[in-house]
Amino acid sequence: MLENYAILPCNGLDKNAGVISREIAIKLCENANNKIICPVYYRVAEAKYNKIAGEHSLLVIDGCQTRCASKLAAEKNLKVSRRVTISEEAKSHNIELKSNLRLLENENTLIEIILNGLNSPEDKVALSSDETTVFNKFDYETYQHGKFLFRVPANPELYFNENDCWTYVIGNRARIGVTDFVQQNLSDILYFTPPEIGAEIDQFGEAGEIESSKSVFELISPVSGKVISVNETLVGKPELLNENPYELGWVAEIELTNFEDDKELLIGFDKYFEIMKKKVEDINV
Amino acid sequence: MSETTFMGVERAKIDWKPTIDYTSCDFCMECVTFCPHKVFEVRENEVIKLIIRNPNNCVVFCRACSKICGPDALTFPDKNATTQRIKEIRKEESNA
Repeated sequence: MLENYAILPCNGLDKNAGVISREIAIKLCENANNKIICPVYYRVAEAKYNKIAGEHSLLVIDGCQTRCASKLAAEKNLKVSRRVTISEEAKSHNIELKSNLRLLENENTLIEIILNGLNSPEDKVALSSDETTVFNKFDYETYQHGKFLFRVPANPELYFNENDCWTYVIGNRARIGVTDFVQQNLSDILYFTPPEIGAEIDQFGEAGEIESSKSVFELISPVSGKVISVNETLVGKPELLNENPYELGWVAEIELTNFEDDKELLIGFDKYFEIMKKKVEDINV
Repeated sequence: MSETTFMGVERAKIDWKPTIDYTSCDFCMECVTFCPHKVFEVRENEVIKLIIRNPNNCVVFCRACSKICGPDALTFPDKNATTQRIKEIRKEESNA
């Protein structure tokens, strides 16, 4: 059961997903030691809610993709431990939400599903699936543009896609992550949502999400396969992605299923370095 | 930014762009503010106030605008089908 959490819900009372967020927050506080942070009152009672947030882990419940609750958490420099987005949950469970502001059958079904998920023990995440696979060789080439420095590993074991994601391949395993171009573009990274352990990912499929105050980036997997491990440290310390997105900031490990085919649409250091330099010049990071 | 090729394929040959569901879109224009590639265009004085102006500026496989869309009014083509199509085009062009 979810315990000792501060819960910051969307409070969009003019939207169906907002009403659902509010109901979930209330239910989570009925039978457990959790506290609600009212997003409206937070504006004028900052000390009260900062204290609650400081003493508890934080669950943010966003109603829709506008993610007002997440943005408020970022604005107040709160560390998010768990996050749920109602519209995404509805979509993944094939529940259609309409514009009604009263809770009807669909809404109540979704609330039960989300509460069950939140009250289940969190999946234990392996930090490393195979200790014998070591992804620790990085020979960087750098490119300076104004005050920004872009590093790109030049090792032959690393491949890139044109969406600024890398993969480091050893045997049938690969690590994936984003390049310096992504982290410099996003600026201060505030959230990292890892892919699910066990998920089968297609090449160019989504393998997690990174968000800053400026933008959101969907990690586009360079390889296909099964997620066997994720970098759990990034959930609590997403700023590691800014520090070094190749080493401490790796995102996930994949058990490869079809790397020979995947390789056809990947590029090596030389080509990626040129593409990245052109992008940097075009958008003037 | 306008990309001319993607994975060696002329960008204009790749069908990757957002589609706006006008029954859901509330013309909040968050996507316009968000997208740095000028894919969208605002038409202030018309009934349909938002259109896809530069589809080929859209970064292939990027769906970030749909993630910030409150009313969930933006959709994209299937990624797998797009990948397969890119491979087909590359094959056709290498055989030509």
